[in-house]
Amino acid sequence: MNTQNQNGYMLLFRGNDWIKGLSPEEKQKVTDQWMAWFRRLTDEGKAVAGNPLEREGKIVSGKNRVVSDGPFAESKEAIGGYFLLDVASMDEAVAIAQECPGLPYGVRVEVRPVAPECPVASELKREAEFATV
Amino acid sequence: MNRQDQNGYMLLYRSDEFYNRLSHQELQTLMNENNAWIERLTAQGKVKPGRALERRGAIVSGKDGRFVTDGPFAESKEAIGGFLLVDVETLDEAIAIAQSIPGLAYGGSIEVRPLAEECPLDVRARELAEKEQLATV
Repeated sequence: MNTQNQNGYMLLFRGNDWIKGLSPEEKQKVTDQWMAWFRRLTDEGKAVAGNPLEREGKIVSGKNRVVSDGPFAESKEAIGGYFLLDVASMDEAVAIAQECPGLPYGVRVEVRPVAPECPVASELKREAEFATV
Repeated sequence: MNRQDQNGYMLLYRSDEFYNRLSHQELQTLMNENNAWIERLTAQGKVKPGRALERRGAIVSGKDGRFVTDGPFAESKEAIGGFLLVDVETLDEAIAIAQSIPGLAYGGSIEVRPLAEECPLDVRARELAEKEQLATV
């Protein structure tokens, strides 16, 4: 899985329900750790962007563009925030994900390589290559 | 944590690899529509360049991240295929932009989420602290 990727990696933090049952002190501790972690990664030039997301929003789906509600508040799958990493390998991105302060509380980190271009464009290119063979 | 210096919205695009099932003509049309769409929004200053994600990756979980597992990111309709940061004032405006995404014609969905000014953890901790303070008054 150690493929090189110049486009960087995205970390998606999943789980919004883990905070329940933590004391205010514990919550503060995790938040402080999380902020310090992000600051260190930024100082090291490894994190280029990051943001928490509000626990609200909408889903727009399908041909008819139907708008519906979350749930974003108390779900194991809901995304709570993201980092964009400027690191060269999947191994490095995974190693950073393994430092996430939320992990002991049940947060899961999705690590995804950023693609060089839109897959629709890649698919067209593939077709074109195939056609010229 | 708000390094982008913007409070806006994040659009998360969820779909399977529907583009593998499209004809050449459909792909070409969709790409033209996509390009025109993003150019228009960029010219209006409403979006930052979006990024697509590869259909692979890992999930890290457990204490010290001891569990590292693969996707699935390819075949799942729930898999996130890309994201876009939208710089508009209201949720309604962000939803309207989401609704105009050309690829939705082939299914999939867009999650529209406000970027938080500060971490919700912080807010929650402060609320609880304030509540406790009130209780002791």
